[in-house]
Parts: sequence; C-alpha cells; structure tokens
Amino acid sequence: MTHTRELTFENPGFYKRLKGMLGVDFYRLFHTPMYYIFLAIAAIIPAMVLSMGGQPNAQGEVVKLYENTWNIIAADTPLYVIKNIGEYANMNMVFIFGGIMVSIFIGHDYKSGYVKQLFTTHSLKSDYMMSKSIVGAFSMMCMCLTYLAGGVFAGVLTGADMSVNAGSLLIAILGKMIMSLGWASLYTMLNVIFRRYFGVSITSSFVIGTGIPVIGAAAVLGNNSALNIFLYGSSVNACLSSNIGTLVTCIAVSCVWAVVYNIVGSVILSRCDVY
Amino acid sequence: MNAIEIRNLQKNFGSKQAVRGLNMTVPEGAIYGFIGENGSGKSTTEKMICGLIIPSGGSIRLYGKDYTNAEVRSKIGLLIEQPGCFQNLSVWNNMMIQAANLGIESAEAEVAKVLKLVRMEGAASNKFKNCSLGMKQRIGIAMALLGEPKLLVLDEPINGLDADGMRIMREVLTDITKNYKCTVLISSHILTELEKIATHYGIIKGGEMIKEMTAAELDASCRTFIALKAADMNKTKLLLSSRYSRVEETEEGYIRIYDLTEPDEVTEFLYNNGVTVSEIETSKIGLEEYYIDLMNERRA
Repeated sequence: MTHTRELTFENPGFYKRLKGMLGVDFYRLFHTPMYYIFLAIAAIIPAMVLSMGGQPNAQGEVVKLYENTWNIIAADTPLYVIKNIGEYANMNMVFIFGGIMVSIFIGHDYKSGYVKQLFTTHSLKSDYMMSKSIVGAFSMMCMCLTYLAGGVFAGVLTGADMSVNAGSLLIAILGKMIMSLGWASLYTMLNVIFRRYFGVSITSSFVIGTGIPVIGAAAVLGNNSALNIFLYGSSVNACLSSNIGTLVTCIAVSCVWAVVYNIVGSVILSRCDVY
Repeated sequence: MNAIEIRNLQKNFGSKQAVRGLNMTVPEGAIYGFIGENGSGKSTTEKMICGLIIPSGGSIRLYGKDYTNAEVRSKIGLLIEQPGCFQNLSVWNNMMIQAANLGIESAEAEVAKVLKLVRMEGAASNKFKNCSLGMKQRIGIAMALLGEPKLLVLDEPINGLDADGMRIMREVLTDITKNYKCTVLISSHILTELEKIATHYGIIKGGEMIKEMTAAELDASCRTFIALKAADMNKTKLLLSSRYSRVEETEEGYIRIYDLTEPDEVTEFLYNNGVTVSEIETSKIGLEEYYIDLMNERRA
C-alpha cells in the first residue's frame, strides 16, 4: 500500500487563515439571534434608565438620575468612585453585555465541538484569539451605537437637557468604542481559561465587566488617574469632559491590553488540551 | 513514507496514564484499523494526532513532519465522536463554514461533491439538529473530506448505526478509499465491518500497542477450522476429540475442529462411527475472534 509519489503540502499564510476564520465568525455572529437580542438590550437599557423618574434618597425624595441626556453615555468627569447609580449607569454597561455575549459565543464553539474541527486544521491558536477578539469588539461597538440610539431616543421623548460639548461627547463615544477591543480580548482570554466551565467563564466576564475590581481599587485610591491603565479606568475616563488626550489614552490602553490578552490566551491554548 | 509515525507516545491525565509508550506506524495509503477496548487509549491517541490533546511525551510525525506543522495539519480530516457542527445551521452552511476555515477557493463545488459522496446531497438544507445519527456521522465524514485530506482520522464512525446505516457507511468508506487515495486511521468496535475495509491493524490495550500487522499477516495468523452440526453433539464431540487435537463447541451450537480444511475426511470418520452430519463447512477465524483470543492471552 505504500505509494512512492512525493507529497507536497501548502503553507497557508496568515492572511488566508485569518480571513477564513473571521469570515466564519462574522457569519455566525450575524446568524445568531443572540447578537440581535443583545443589540436590542443595549438600546432598551439606556431608554429605560433615562425614562425612570429617579431614585429615592435618604429623605424619601425622588432625585432624578440624570439632568442631562448625555449622562446616559458618560459621566461629566472621570468618576471611578461611585456615589450613586446614575454615575455608574452609562455606556460602560455595554461591556457587561458584551462580556456575556462573548462568553456565550465562545462557549458555543466548545459545546458544539466546532473547536475540534478548527484546531485539527492549520488554524493557529493565536488566529483563534484574534478572530474572537475582533468579532467580539465589533459586536460591542455595534452595541455602543444601539445604546447611543436608545439613549438619544429616550432623551428626546423625556425632554431631558441635550446641551453638551459635542467634541467631548464624540471623543467619549469613540473612546468607549475603541475600548471594546481591549474588553473583547479580555473576555476571549477569560473564556479560553475557563473553557470547560461555562458558568465560571460567564460569571467571570460579568464580574470583571462591571468594573468591580477597579471600583474597589478606587475606593482606596480615590479618583486617581493612574486607574486609567486598566480597561475599566480608561472606559470611565472617556467622559463628557474628554479631550484628544483621552482618546489617545483609550487607543493605547485598549491596544496594549488587547495584545497582552491575545498573547496570554494563545499561550494558554497552545499549552493545554483543546478538546 | 509513513503517514503516521508515533514513537513512545505518552499522555497522563493527572495520575492516570491514558497512553503509555505507544508506538505506531501507519504507511501512506493504508486503511488502518485501530482496535481496542473502551478506555484503552484509542480516542486519546487520535486526539493527539489531530492536535486536540498535547502529548505528555514522545513524538508524532505526520508525513515526516512534526504533527504541529501547519502545512501538514491543513491536510488532515477528522471525525472524532460527533462532527463539530452548529445545531441550528443547515448541513450546507455547516459544511461551508468548514470550507471557509480551510480556505477552499471553490467551496460550493467542493461541498456539493463531498455531500454527494456520502449520499447526503438531498439533505443539504436540513438543519443539523434534525439529522439522524447515521446522517450526522456521514456529514462528519463529508466535513473531514473537505480540502482533499491526505490523512483521515475517524473515531468510531459506525458505532450506533443501524444495519442500513452501517451498509451505507461501508459503501461510503469504500468510495473514499477509491476516490481520494488518502490514508485512513479508523477505530471501531465493530470488527466484522472493519475487517471488510482495513489493510492494516493496530491493537491497543491499556495505552500500549500490543500488536501491529497487515491484513495479510492477520489472514496468515488466523486459523482455519471446520464447523459442523450433528444429531448427537455429545457423542460427536467425544469422537472428534479422540482423533483431533483441538475440538471446541461454540455458543452457537457448532463443533469446531481447528487447523483442518478437508470436510470429507471428517464426514467419513463420523459416518463410520455411526454419526450423521447435518451441516458442515470450512471457515477461518476472523478479526473479532483473533482480537478476543489476543485479549484473553494478555489477560492470562
């Protein structure tokens, strides 16, 4: 049965590998109802929060959460220390929804056995990390847009104040959208670490997405700009008083963490049993 | 060149040694039947070959290259347990997803071709979750065939199938070996089916390879026998035992005389002793019995 012919093998390049994987991941994203559900949630939540009358204070008086529509997008200043829910509930919530979505998306790769088809072929672990991070970031960016649409729509309906520094608002929105890449990479890494435990991966994504670790650090350090080195810190920093420096910080922090998380995730995947 | 060359392969899961010092050689173009009990390390070995599990030690070379080499990996097709498909997508879309991952240029034509080969062209629009087990296994094989693989790794592709499903699968596997000329590593518990297609065998026990041989070697080492039925089986057995060295009664109610090929001689002997033979045939023990004997020897 031994053949003597010479076998040749093609060396699939990086572009070809990533193109194929991204194509599949985007196809899956657009064909899963979950994606549209999360887009809808991202639109409904700000509308609900903005439409709420307010929150009762210690004296029982109802205090409005927001005087200004754009506070649903970001706080006026970088507030790592939170005094009320209004200072917390803004576009950063998208990163919580995004974390859950990425967890479900990657969890499905393992549950369906898709990863075994994938990793038997020429696909590299780093390609996988990159593809999931890019698709996760894209989905969170889309959620940011539906969140913006939901917030503006509710703001118009409720007649809330719409005055804002347009440049800072734009930078805040762009900054948060750019932070999506770092967040998506973090969630991808967490889901790779906890790939056998779906419950743990989704919980870890949720807890870290809420920013609790950074909020906890802020309770000790106060509103310290050093917290901007973290994803949550930079996400909070993208606020209604942002300037171009804020945007640069967001780009730098998001990209650096994305690279770190992608490298760590790739190393973990390469050294562990996949399936 | 050997398609698979494994030396001293080891895999530990905690303190449990799943594969211990396994050596395996699969020549290019072979249909290699990989046989072993449940938990003997077959699937673990196959998963290591496919790069899904990291070996604890030893080496795996595929077509002379390390098993992690991306070039060689692009030419491996696998079906381990069930195919990795998305339940809510159609068969066609699942196939297209794998074609995209493999970077196949003419994906639609290739998918149509492999679906036809596995007799699934009529079910391409079905949702994967609505397919029967047999259909799912065939989809898995079709998926493994995308990209014209040089090596196919199939883990228990016929287990759980009904008689018709098994027949179709056998036809499919025969077609594959004819049309694709690739090396096939196939594990199965259904040895009678495996025997019909395999050219080489590897028998694994407790994570170690205990025997590797070609189909010709198996054939040569399998003993011939004469099986017969008579009215008085006890008397027949006594008579035959007095003349032949190895006489056994089977569970199916036959008496077997091993290493004998001339039924006329036996019939005449029994007739002369007042026994009339109702059925008699010459046969050879198959892979299943060979395997059982080998396992019993190892236990002893």
